[in-house]
Amino acid sequence: MTIQTDERTTREGDAPLGVRAQLQSAIEDLRRLADIIAVAIARRDGLVIAHDLPKDVDPKRTAAMTAAIVGTSELAARELGQGRFLQAIVDSEYGKMLSTGAGEEALLVTLVRPEANMGLVLLGVERAAARIAAILSGT
Amino acid sequence: MTDHTATGIQILDDKLGGGFTRPAAILLFSDHPSEKRLFAEQFVITGVRAGERCLYVDFFRAPQLARRELTKFGAFDERLAVFVDATSAQLLIPSTERYAIHEMGDLDHIMDTVERAIRETKPARVVVDSMEFLADRFPKDAVFRRWRQLLEVGKQEGATVSYLFLNWTYGQTEVERIEDMSDYVVEFQSRMRTGVLQHFLRIRHSGGEGVQTNWIPYTFKELVGLTVYFPRILVTGPFNAGKSTVVRALCKDTVSVDRLGTTVAFDYGNIEVMGLEAEVFGTPGQERFDFVFQIFAREVNGILLVIDGTRAEDLVRAKQIRELAGRNVPTVVLANKADLPGQLSPDEIRSRLDLGAEVPVVRTIATEGQGITEALRLLAEMILGLR
Repeated sequence: MTIQTDERTTREGDAPLGVRAQLQSAIEDLRRLADIIAVAIARRDGLVIAHDLPKDVDPKRTAAMTAAIVGTSELAARELGQGRFLQAIVDSEYGKMLSTGAGEEALLVTLVRPEANMGLVLLGVERAAARIAAILSGT
Repeated sequence: MTDHTATGIQILDDKLGGGFTRPAAILLFSDHPSEKRLFAEQFVITGVRAGERCLYVDFFRAPQLARRELTKFGAFDERLAVFVDATSAQLLIPSTERYAIHEMGDLDHIMDTVERAIRETKPARVVVDSMEFLADRFPKDAVFRRWRQLLEVGKQEGATVSYLFLNWTYGQTEVERIEDMSDYVVEFQSRMRTGVLQHFLRIRHSGGEGVQTNWIPYTFKELVGLTVYFPRILVTGPFNAGKSTVVRALCKDTVSVDRLGTTVAFDYGNIEVMGLEAEVFGTPGQERFDFVFQIFAREVNGILLVIDGTRAEDLVRAKQIRELAGRNVPTVVLANKADLPGQLSPDEIRSRLDLGAEVPVVRTIATEGQGITEALRLLAEMILGLR
């Protein structure tokens, strides 16, 4: 977020800030797993919710592209009779990008090192997605 | 002496005839905790940058801290920003400021100090941050009496006085009384939707006449200040109308997912002009990509509907796209390729697209950037409620 929060707003215990703190801690917990490079949470319509992407990556563009990838993948899965969409994995030379649904409204984007133990990563991502969905269902 | 005090948000100042009138009393109001201080700080910094003296009465921050925090707007001439120190006494330390309140339990002493500072420094702008500090601590009648007196002193000295007020103490009657004392009311609201926190402000003349804007989404950028912020402007229209070219003409830096010369996923770009920031999403035009449109067509602030101004046969599709996005979303039609022969008349475009009178049609040549900024300005004014 580019907006700075008024310290009085914080002091008064505004609910939205609680949500943001919880999302940030969900990101941090997932980041602790080995082989995870960066994490972002985006809305399915392409807006950034929270992220810890590297400085040289534009979070807004990332969110927009992820929304397009997931939207397209979901439709492809349905059209091809493969049932409910779970995850899109973009596999590239220097790593993988996982885009996972986190509830009705949000997406969890995880950047992973190429040599990662995917079983472990997927387990962590799945847990984080469920946690994010639960946090956001309250807003 | 100017007779206006600019807000520092260009597109608003243009429409307010240069800013708030001066002298004036401006209520910066919210009934929930919302970000108001940034607007007040920007108001002060804008004045200082114009060479005006400004007085900042801060009940919450030490002047040293406030000065440091103001540098988030960039460098400014500190001599022009005069502070009334109201925190040293609360911390039982001596003040180094010319104006300091010594007895925080004495409303008359507090307000006398502020009024003396106004009379002596003759500032163009005054910010009181904030009135709820007083409303929470002193009897209502006394607060009102001194509040009114403060505004009179401000008027006498030719200052535009703005005061933050978060109301959780007073009822509707008192709030109306405060509005009656004010020339402008700027309301603030922060909303959270699916983890995205958005800030809005709305400006109106007190008393129901004159300016009345819609809720204006805004954001803050380090070293830039407050900008109007549209998270989503759609650039859409039929195949081969020039949508991607419009996005590129609008934005200094864009990404496009295109194959074989046509957009297959979307164009994305970011605009920063006229005190305005916007995220621009360009959609593909062909029907087979409508699912992409559906992804991005949520919570749209405004639409630039691009058509090829020479192709009547495409207007059925253009009308369909507009309906897909929602007819209530503020829209400007760009009749593009205005340099080609065989232009449709504005009336023909209007009737084929079934446009209401509120929808402007602008002729553009996107390849040369002609008409694009005008179209954006019209759209921004529609969204802000300034048209």
